[in-house]
Amino acid sequence: MNGEWREGTVLTEGLHFTYSGSQTPALVDVSITIDEGEFVLLAGPSGSGKSTLARCLNGLVPHFHGGRFGGKVVVCGLDTRRATVAELARHVGFVFQDPENQLVSMEVEREIAFGLENIGLPKDVIGKRIEEALDTVGILHLRKKHPKELSGGEKQRVAIASVLALHPNVLVLDEPTSELDPQGAEDVLKVVERINDELGITVILIEHRLDRVMHLVDRVIVMDRGRIIADGEPREVMKDERLRETGTEIPPVVDLTLKVMEHYEPDILRDGFKIPLTVKEGRKILRPLFRRVNGVEWKPQTHHQTGKTVVLIENVWFGYDQPILKGVSLNVRKGEFVALLGRNASGKTTLLKHLIGLNIPNKGKVVVCGLDTRRATVAELARHVGFVFQNPNDHLIADTVFEEVAFPLKSMGYDNIEERVNEVLKLLKLERYRDCYPRSLSGGEKQRVAIASVLAFEPEILILDEPTRGLDFSLKEYIMKILDEYRKNGRTVIYSTHDVETAARHGDRAVIMSEGKIVIDDEKHKGLANALLFSPQINRMIQSFRRYGVPDEILTVEEALEVIDMGLRRGER
Amino acid sequence: MMVYKEADTPIHRMNPMPKIIWAITILILSLIFDNPVVLILLFVATIPPAIFGKIIKEWSFFVKLGLFFIPVIVLLNIAFNHNGEHILYTLGHNLPFFGSPVITLEALFYGIMMGIRLLVILSAFAIITLSVHPDDIVMLMLKMKVPYKSVLIVSLSSRFIPTLLSDVETITDVQRTRGLELDRGSIIKRIKNRVPVLVPLLANSLERSVEIAEAMEARAFGENKKRTFYKELKLSHADKLVSVFIFSTLLVGIIARFLGYGTYEYYPVLSPIELESIILGVLLFSMLVIPYVSVWITYNSSEPLAHGGRQ
Repeated sequence: MNGEWREGTVLTEGLHFTYSGSQTPALVDVSITIDEGEFVLLAGPSGSGKSTLARCLNGLVPHFHGGRFGGKVVVCGLDTRRATVAELARHVGFVFQDPENQLVSMEVEREIAFGLENIGLPKDVIGKRIEEALDTVGILHLRKKHPKELSGGEKQRVAIASVLALHPNVLVLDEPTSELDPQGAEDVLKVVERINDELGITVILIEHRLDRVMHLVDRVIVMDRGRIIADGEPREVMKDERLRETGTEIPPVVDLTLKVMEHYEPDILRDGFKIPLTVKEGRKILRPLFRRVNGVEWKPQTHHQTGKTVVLIENVWFGYDQPILKGVSLNVRKGEFVALLGRNASGKTTLLKHLIGLNIPNKGKVVVCGLDTRRATVAELARHVGFVFQNPNDHLIADTVFEEVAFPLKSMGYDNIEERVNEVLKLLKLERYRDCYPRSLSGGEKQRVAIASVLAFEPEILILDEPTRGLDFSLKEYIMKILDEYRKNGRTVIYSTHDVETAARHGDRAVIMSEGKIVIDDEKHKGLANALLFSPQINRMIQSFRRYGVPDEILTVEEALEVIDMGLRRGER
Repeated sequence: MMVYKEADTPIHRMNPMPKIIWAITILILSLIFDNPVVLILLFVATIPPAIFGKIIKEWSFFVKLGLFFIPVIVLLNIAFNHNGEHILYTLGHNLPFFGSPVITLEALFYGIMMGIRLLVILSAFAIITLSVHPDDIVMLMLKMKVPYKSVLIVSLSSRFIPTLLSDVETITDVQRTRGLELDRGSIIKRIKNRVPVLVPLLANSLERSVEIAEAMEARAFGENKKRTFYKELKLSHADKLVSVFIFSTLLVGIIARFLGYGTYEYYPVLSPIELESIILGVLLFSMLVIPYVSVWITYNSSEPLAHGGRQ
């Protein structure tokens, strides 16, 4: 039971692991010690071994996922090779990435009871622990709900409550927010912060979006290709070049500060200032610099498309029992690159499905490439419109990547299939997977196969529902660049996303939806600047510099650097 | 939409045990009797719980589904069954395999009654589906000492049915946007067209089951110690009494059937309805409705504050 243990709460020594059936090791010589109460962020690109390391801590590796295991993992005094997963479950709570697949009961209360029943606690104790867990996570009002009635963020909080009830010493969370919208993610992270702060539970969190958590954690461990490449205080690790080399997304405020130090003001961090991790800290450190660049004549680069209208949405109402879209109108021209933003359930996917006739408006009309969706079939529209769905797994049906990409070409009756497929595989750097089974690929590769299978028939309009969800930074950037190339050939790209930073860096137009209506529809600099939740981090920081005459339409690090550069050069002359 | 919804009605609050015995009783009675009066009264007996449970709208969906099948059953019956003396229509030609078909009044009537039998079963099934929380069925199984792992399978399946349905919907959408036309071509072609939907569905489900297993193990599932149960189905004396009462209806029906009551001859001519079968029908009807009427009366006479909802 909960005996005393020496050294850290979590200890790994020379840990090696290779999944059975794999040639490359997932973990190479991992040695870490994590003390009680620490809040540790595990960062690194996809496939770097973060999830595997996390699963080593509660014994899922090697007991559930077999393979070659070397070295030692000791958690709360238990050697994971000898302890069972069930024994370890009392010490290590584990929250998974997918909110849906970890809830096994039909009612929240029963969900929380599940683990407690498994370890054989008496009824009255279970009742008490349920109350406690519901309260800690702030979901008392959800106790009687069925999982299907919960939002993603709520499901994740139920999952947290269900492991918290087991009174663990360590909480491990494997990308708990990657499938959530920003609000849901924040609710979950707040709970995690509270659990660490107030209950003193050791937390090990895997998260791609460093800007969300950097200021909360005590320590950052960076992994790449199965190894630990950096380990230390967040501000120290941020300065580490190796972090950037792994392709990890550096929070924009940090990125800007580091670049300013490199090119303009090497000693901006004097007077005991540290690298800023939040907008608040960023303002404090960068204010003097931005004061000096006041009154710069800077206008963002914008592409104004004047091509013909290819998508016309006119006062569309849609819904089953309750309206989901309430009078949406939108006009997209040829060559535009449009980001559709909004919370979950704001109607983004519902609207996108109208563009290919999967949804037909109850009122109003949708005309795509001259076809009225009320009259054209989905198959007819599919010749003009390519649609990439959220989950690439729903696309994958064939035995090889080649056949997968060829499938829509065949069903639409194209010739020169071989040639088209090869071309698109090359474009998406998938040539070497040509004969692989698509489902055995990694998440990012699967996403590329799904996109390839749509790009192969070169649709005039390309629609993507959250194409960057759950992807790491470098892959996100890669996919967005391909989309940008694609639209430059005179085609139109419309995608939905939660990720304001991505929308700020790419594309040229931002449409924001809320509760079934379009609330903002503008060129991205006008649409995304000067908002609270829907402005990128750099813009939120710069909003307070407006009074020094700093242009307030700056969205990205590059644009901020441009302005700084113009301002400082002007002084030189 | 056609699934259980939380509501505070006398029917929802009723213990699942008597309700399920009631549905099984109706199922068996509708199968052992083919008397039109008995069948119709059995159907009528399923209406009060639907009304008291305020599930008429959802319930009528199931009934409409049944009504949709009645013409099919009738058509099949008159096409293949040529017994009976009252010929309504004769097809002059000699068809291969069919011979020279005749349509008889008796076959038509028999078809209709078989349709009503289907309606009875669907309706009783609908009441259970709509008014019993799936979790209660799970607890009932545990109460009946079904091994936990078997119960868990039932519970997990019903937990993930909505997930599976939304998966089917999304994957169908995906494949339609890839140029797949599901409802085109011959039947063989249409079935073949479904393959691109089935493959990802199966693969997704397999991957999901691995994730579920992982999540369960991570919460101490499979620990050797004896498992406890936080919620158990409580059976009050009243619940037991009601269950026994409903079960006795089944016994009455079976005994009556053995004694030869409630039978009916459709061929060669429809036999007259006998008084005995009317009495039997009314008796079974009353016995099946009394439990619901009594819970409804108790519910309405109790203080509104006492309505605590499902346990």
